[in-house]
Amino acid sequence: MNDNNKDDKTLNHSRRQFFKISTALTAVALTPSYILKAADDNMDDKIAELFEKRDLNIEVNGIVHTLSIEPRVTLLDLLREQLKLTGSKKGCDHGQCGACTVHVNGQRVLSCLSLAIMQDGKKITTIEGLAKGDELHPMQAAFIKHDGFQCGYCTPGQIMSAVACVREGHANNEDEIRSYMAGNICRCGAYPNIVDAITEVKQKGGTI
Amino acid sequence: MGYYFEDGDRVNGKDIVTGKAKYTAEHDIPNLAYGVLVGSTIAKGSIATMDTKSAENAPGVLSVITHLNTPVVPGYDAGGLPIKTPVSGKNLQVFNGPTIYFNGQPIALVVADTYERALFAATLVKAQYNKEAQVTDFLEAGKTVKAIDTAKYKDNIRGEVDGYKNAPVKIEAEYIVPIEVHNPMEMHATIALWDGDDKVTVYEKTQNIKSAQRNVMSAFKLKEENVRLYAPFVGGGFGSALRTWPHCIAALIGAKKTGRPVKLVLGRDQMFNSVGYRPYTLQKIGLGATADGILIGITHEANSITSMYEEFNEGSVNISRSLYNCPNVTTRYKVFPFNVSTPTYMRGPGEATGAFALESALDELAYKLNMDPIELRLKNYAEKDPENGKPYSTKFLKEAYKLGADKIGWAQRNPAVRSMKEGEWLVGFGMSTGVFGAYRNNAKALARIFADGTLLVQSAVSDSGPGTATSMTKIAADGMGIASSKITFQLGDSALPPGPGQGGSSTTASLGSAVHDVCESLKKKLAELAKDAAVFHTETIHNPKPEDFVFENGYILLATDRTKKLSFTEVLKQNNLNQVEVTEESKGSEEMKKYTAFSYNVHFVKVLVHPTTGVVKINRVVAAADAGKIISYKTAESQIIGGAVGGIGMALMEEGVIDDRYGRWVNNNFADYHVPVHTDVPHIEALFVNQPDYILSPTGAKGMGEIALIGFAAAVANAVYHATGKRVRELPITPDKLI
Amino acid sequence: MINFNYVQASTQKNVTDTLMKDGTAQIIAGGTNLVDLMKRGVAAPQKLIDINNLSLKNIEQQKGFVRIGALALNSVVAENELVVQKFPLLSKALQSGASQQLRNMATVGGNMMQRTRCSYFYDTTMPCNKRNPGTGCGALKGYNRMHAIFGATENCIAVHPSDMCVALAALNASVIISSSRSERKIAFTDFHKLAGTNPEKDNTLQRGEMITAVEIPDANNFAQHSTYLKIRDRSSYAFALISVAAALDMNGGKINNARLAMGGVAHKPWRLTTAENFLKGKAATEENFKQAAALAMKDAKAYRHNNFKLTLAPNSIAEALKIAAAM
Repeated sequence: MNDNNKDDKTLNHSRRQFFKISTALTAVALTPSYILKAADDNMDDKIAELFEKRDLNIEVNGIVHTLSIEPRVTLLDLLREQLKLTGSKKGCDHGQCGACTVHVNGQRVLSCLSLAIMQDGKKITTIEGLAKGDELHPMQAAFIKHDGFQCGYCTPGQIMSAVACVREGHANNEDEIRSYMAGNICRCGAYPNIVDAITEVKQKGGTI
Repeated sequence: MGYYFEDGDRVNGKDIVTGKAKYTAEHDIPNLAYGVLVGSTIAKGSIATMDTKSAENAPGVLSVITHLNTPVVPGYDAGGLPIKTPVSGKNLQVFNGPTIYFNGQPIALVVADTYERALFAATLVKAQYNKEAQVTDFLEAGKTVKAIDTAKYKDNIRGEVDGYKNAPVKIEAEYIVPIEVHNPMEMHATIALWDGDDKVTVYEKTQNIKSAQRNVMSAFKLKEENVRLYAPFVGGGFGSALRTWPHCIAALIGAKKTGRPVKLVLGRDQMFNSVGYRPYTLQKIGLGATADGILIGITHEANSITSMYEEFNEGSVNISRSLYNCPNVTTRYKVFPFNVSTPTYMRGPGEATGAFALESALDELAYKLNMDPIELRLKNYAEKDPENGKPYSTKFLKEAYKLGADKIGWAQRNPAVRSMKEGEWLVGFGMSTGVFGAYRNNAKALARIFADGTLLVQSAVSDSGPGTATSMTKIAADGMGIASSKITFQLGDSALPPGPGQGGSSTTASLGSAVHDVCESLKKKLAELAKDAAVFHTETIHNPKPEDFVFENGYILLATDRTKKLSFTEVLKQNNLNQVEVTEESKGSEEMKKYTAFSYNVHFVKVLVHPTTGVVKINRVVAAADAGKIISYKTAESQIIGGAVGGIGMALMEEGVIDDRYGRWVNNNFADYHVPVHTDVPHIEALFVNQPDYILSPTGAKGMGEIALIGFAAAVANAVYHATGKRVRELPITPDKLI
Repeated sequence: MINFNYVQASTQKNVTDTLMKDGTAQIIAGGTNLVDLMKRGVAAPQKLIDINNLSLKNIEQQKGFVRIGALALNSVVAENELVVQKFPLLSKALQSGASQQLRNMATVGGNMMQRTRCSYFYDTTMPCNKRNPGTGCGALKGYNRMHAIFGATENCIAVHPSDMCVALAALNASVIISSSRSERKIAFTDFHKLAGTNPEKDNTLQRGEMITAVEIPDANNFAQHSTYLKIRDRSSYAFALISVAAALDMNGGKINNARLAMGGVAHKPWRLTTAENFLKGKAATEENFKQAAALAMKDAKAYRHNNFKLTLAPNSIAEALKIAAAM
């Protein structure tokens, strides 16, 4: 893996090392010794796994989920892989494209850089939670009307960002919309149509 | 027309805006395992030893697959890699031996029960290499690196060799297009599920379903009916998904080895060296003209790159052979192998590279001649194909020049360099021509009308964004005379009648013709079924023939007496049928062989350039296209707009960078490899000549995807020159090049 | 990413105690940089201390300064009334950075703690003294377009990527740093350090310490004439090639005082005191701005791919001053 840079200590951590280190930490100070032994001997993965997981209560689109997850799971992967809510997209996984934008307690954030464990007790809204039944959210309808997408992959992120953009009061003119939508990349290049869609929703007024 | 097509909205829009659309990695497959590829950290040499033990022992890991333990892939070359010289069409055979051809080449696949565990375990795989010195410095082309020397790369000469040199006015210049990477927003992915040893289901990000299916078939020696491949939604491609890449085969290998369905999604970093890119190309242009602007000669040379295992080439210099009427044209194209992954077609392949050089050079010549750039182009307007003397099927480029020029106010600008200002910003106007062959390939479509009056149309095509289902629905609606809301166009499944690949701007002309033809056949069949109905037999009407009917609004009507009609529903009912279906294959016409077909797009750009910081803002864009008949106006406009946005990226910011010391990418992410964002893009006006080309296809459509981008970067460079007096010949035009 | 232990801290002492005890623990707040670094294997803390429950979000007027809690979100600070009114420069700098989604996550403290965006730092197969001391600087003879022109050594030529910090450096802010035993206050410009011989350290924070607040003196007259100019390869959502924070205290056409700092040029926000001193008492003319810019460039040194910064930097300084003066 590491040809140019022989001694990169940070990467080599097995379960065993993790648990050895963990013994010093308060959170697992109460870990029964047989579990540590099991981990040490690499014997019982199932038991050891339990101690790598944490409880999480999270409300997604109005439904409360009680889960047990590894702390390293991102909100995006939790949504897509565990809750099967694949509307939130993975476009880069590094906070550089905006495709994974969701609302956490009403604020737009990037779910790929959010650890799921840190969202305990919070309310998440994804693209799947935007429409009211069969009735599209005005922003969704405006995106269709103005053809604010081509392949559609960045679209959920664009729409979640656009809804927040209007709610924040950052959609007063086209330049402001562009600035506050700059974190959502569209490789197909639907930008002008997206700006038109947001402008229309903003101008129609009302609560969205 | 357009009567039956209520609003032009995309037929799959609702699925997209609600998040219901399922892209490749999003299909819910029970018992799914996750595959992560480990890339080499050297660019040339071979794997000496591999340590996979700690990865194998990591929690949740099902298997670590390398060249040492891979299941046999029957379609691979026996004896494994190496390939000594680049071979055309030779994809990298993943895990077929220890040879390393480029940095980041897959050396292992880790399969685990969760994504997080697979990703972590992948970091534990270690390899020792027998390292050799790689070459990725493209300036070595023609020096230490020799060109691939086969017959297809010999000089192509029309008239006198390098005839431009004898002209009274001439310019010579070098242009560079760096590596550009497709980077569709959806990262490439595969899900593979084996059913026994000889049957597999594959979810694949592909622009070409049947070709992907064939690739899987040939790698694993499987029968067509035993490979089912799905791609219902494709999150962009721009060419990267036109072929099947090693990671797809790796996913199939992983699924075979573990006995579990395996999902493999490339990381964004892997998108830079796994699925092709537009190759770095150095070009030299020589133009020669008379003092009044008649072209005497064009010489266009291009040196491009490929990988060590596969020969890739594209038509970068072809534009100079066909766009202008010129007696003496010399083109030279050479390809040099480096220790990189294989490039591939990227939107406007070849021509986008060539047009940047040629259309910049034309602008340079226009300034040298003190002539309007459009006038120069009109003076050398080709009325017939200069390569072979054939007439054009249709050509409305002149009309496009006028349409665009009028719209942007071309005549009102002051053509003198550095003469226009807004505040302290320098203002520049530039234009260029984009051209791409208009193609029509074989395609099959099925149409089935049901007793309830709804219509199903099917073809194994995929849609990476242009809106194929939407335009096919439109063609079927107009063809059958029913409302688009009654039509379902089904795609994305290899079991459907074979559709074309979505590439080369040919989908609408190819598949649209099949849909057109299948509707004609279906109407004939309906007419056959209807002609004996009582309503069509009166005292004055006797034995109507199928051609005596017209089809409107879900009814079959007698052309001579429209009060005599029968709904499609009634036709089926009277014949005791639940459905009627036909399948048609459409091929290019014989007539077309007498013609040459091109699509055109003229780009007009207004830029603002800051005089001391070199910041360039694209202030206005007008595109005027001759793309034949516009089938679906809304999606057509979007495609032109999208191409212009891609062009803004190409012109101002996109550049792939490899550190030659390691042969390794240094900007393989979206923070360092810049693509345009909202603030880079102004309103873009898309205009169409909208004249049908019925010689090319019964739909009247030519192509659009490529011309939307081809030439755009030259229009920007020309506008920047007008604004600043600085001619930037090496893309992208970043601030440092203007201060 | 390695799996790690996750704890939520309920008190500040809780945090600093844990940091003191456990060298493998790291604070997480917004996580916008840390989670990314962990994904790439650049950072691998074995314990994350989530400090979001601490009450460090306030932005308040105190006597002679505005105090901004370390957990105040970038988006909140940017639109905070006090900040907009008194320090429009800070507001503008914040809005020039990242995207609204990231600003909604990122905190003031986290912004200060973000690491360089140097490609060689991010790729764990490449040499990098900052990530892995002793392996060399990959950028020195590599691709260094984005890199430093001031204060670099051959150990490291990386730049600090923050916009906010450039504004805070110009505004003479202070940083409040707490440990379990004490609290100290240092000048903002002393918080980040140059690469020197230990580029693995970005700042002067000691083990067991955390940032709790930033204080900005409000006894100034810079609000009227200030701007943040950011030059980059695309018009938004990109790191700076060069950025300039410029603030002028003007009296008619005369400059009483000037504050200047640059981003994208050094391992820390780069304060331009020589240029500031030159401008003191001078007329606000283009000529003076150009001279000030030229003075600021003394000791600048370029590498293979960033030679353009030697021109772009002074041009940007002069341009920023022009914009600020014209306001």
